[in-house]
Amino acid sequence: MKILVVDDDALAAEMVCAILESGNYQGIVAENVMEAFERLQQHPEIKMIISDMNMPLISGIEFFQELKKQHSTLPFILLTGDDPTTLLTLEPALTHCLTKDFALTETLPELVANVLGKN
Amino acid sequence: MTQTSSNLQVKILQLRANFIKQLPKRLLEVEECIKQAENSTNYDELIMGDLFRAFHSLKGASSSFGFDKLAEEAAIGEHLAQGLITTSAVMNANRSRVLADVIEQLNLEMEELKQVDLSFDRPYRSPSFEMGQINRGWQEQGAPLIYICDDETEQVVHLDYQLSCFGYRIQRFTDVESFEATVLKQAPDAVVMDVHFPQSSIAGTETLRRVNETLGRQLPAIVLSGQDSFAGRLSAFRAGCRSYFTKPARPLELAAALDDLLKNKHVEPLRILIVDDEPEVAQYHSLILEDAGMLVQQVHEPALALDVLRNFSPDLILIDVYMPECTGQELAGIIRMVPEYLGMPIVYLSSETDRKKQFSAMQVGVEGFITKPVVPSELVSAVALRAERMRTLRRLMTRDSLTGLFNHSSTKEIIESAVSQVGRTKENLIMVMLDLDYFKKVNDKHGHLAGDQVLVALSRVLKHRLRNTDVIGRYGGEEFAILLRKISIEQAYELIDTLREDFSKIIFSSGAEQFTCTFSAGLSSFAHYGSVEELIGAADVALYQAKKDGRNRVNVDRKSQ
Repeated sequence: MKILVVDDDALAAEMVCAILESGNYQGIVAENVMEAFERLQQHPEIKMIISDMNMPLISGIEFFQELKKQHSTLPFILLTGDDPTTLLTLEPALTHCLTKDFALTETLPELVANVLGKN
Repeated sequence: MTQTSSNLQVKILQLRANFIKQLPKRLLEVEECIKQAENSTNYDELIMGDLFRAFHSLKGASSSFGFDKLAEEAAIGEHLAQGLITTSAVMNANRSRVLADVIEQLNLEMEELKQVDLSFDRPYRSPSFEMGQINRGWQEQGAPLIYICDDETEQVVHLDYQLSCFGYRIQRFTDVESFEATVLKQAPDAVVMDVHFPQSSIAGTETLRRVNETLGRQLPAIVLSGQDSFAGRLSAFRAGCRSYFTKPARPLELAAALDDLLKNKHVEPLRILIVDDEPEVAQYHSLILEDAGMLVQQVHEPALALDVLRNFSPDLILIDVYMPECTGQELAGIIRMVPEYLGMPIVYLSSETDRKKQFSAMQVGVEGFITKPVVPSELVSAVALRAERMRTLRRLMTRDSLTGLFNHSSTKEIIESAVSQVGRTKENLIMVMLDLDYFKKVNDKHGHLAGDQVLVALSRVLKHRLRNTDVIGRYGGEEFAILLRKISIEQAYELIDTLREDFSKIIFSSGAEQFTCTFSAGLSSFAHYGSVEELIGAADVALYQAKKDGRNRVNVDRKSQ
């Protein structure tokens, strides 16, 4: 199963992909939101999006809002270095927000499985 | 599962190494942003935004890779930049100084990280216990690797010497630098660390904390300290140590603490046997249980259940009630016919909700019912609860409470079943009867606590130095029975004699007094005897002869030589 990973930090993206691969998912990387939209067109089979929050030009949350405008129903997980609660108050529609830390190796696969299970 | 997670670990290690390689470039970028901000006299949203993001992404990446200290520093910079943005403020001398401070700290931390070689030749061990490793090698292979780091050479040599007697592999370090460099190349199973080093009064624990951070996990560690200071204890606690010894540390107590630290690694998963004629259903239940960390074996034909039972020795059997060849009740009854399995927990899986029918099934001696369709979490807890209870009960019944070795009756039982199994295969078995020399004197002179100390030490030596497939039992008060498998009498003699010599070097203390203790042993080989009684009898005679010849020696039965 393919999952779009959006992060301007190549290493961070690789890290997320490595975690996903260990759960038998395939990560497709986009460096920014523009590239993310291109990837979505190229790979309609993408089942989920995992995006970093803080990126130059268009942030993760703006990306999410844009997707909503385009009526995308893809599950969306936002990764952030900050406290997720402030982001959640900022954008209540956002259901999945994870803190980027070393526990990601455990928290992310759990959340991905959970979200995909529900959909 | 283990395969993929260890692949992931390898990858993460590589990524962490790459991250450290790229760190200088990242820091330069941050510095460049600061310079630009300092040079612009008016508030420039773009420049400030860049500065904020530079710190932010450094913070994010650092914490993603588990470099918390870097992340903390970057967060300070991020916070400051955020403040400048919200107030549309320009840089001033004060702000510049704070940022310069942050950069300096980041650079220092980076230098530290750069020194450690992250391109390890092996990934850190996965915490899971690999099955199929039951044949732990002689001494070297499976023995836990312990690093001792202490700048007092004498103390290190002494601990090395004493702990080696218990079968640990010891590597000594007298300075924190070489310790740190080696740990990052090959992580040990546990660390014994001094607190005080020439660099600082808490250099030892600081090194530990740093190493843990770099490794991204907690090394099991014991802290040794010259003085019992609060600062020392606090630094130990902060480095994740939960065990603190004041010097001079007694090797026996250290060994006990090390065993405690390493114990969890060897907890075997619960073993569950599933008997179900439908492979898909068995597979489904098996996956649920495996996911909860249990080891599962499936049998799809009831007729094979007894054979598998013998080889797999599960903690619990899960049986489907409706099977064409023979029903679950019948199979449970057959299993119960074997005296060994009278206590084996059996749980039915059935769609039977009829209480009466359930009750009649229970009369065959079934522990419980799980109704299909199963709820995964319920299946796991129902199985784990019963299997664990079985383990505890079995342990209480079969083990000696002081030493944790098999008690007299279970030792005998296990030896008997091993002998009967081996009868067909011609595999050789060696019987060892071992008895402490002048043990009564130890008890009389030093008290029973000291005597117990000796018994525990001997059992620890035996457990650590013999293989898991060998049977070790406390046969009587100070008498131990050991059954060695797949070994020649010469090898067995050599092995037991080495243990004898090492054990005699262990120094026991009771109050201010110190003493040593020895044992004598008698060996016999199954090849020359027809029954368990004869085999044990011959080893006993050889032991008696060893005692008569002056004790502290190993003697082989004449026929077995």
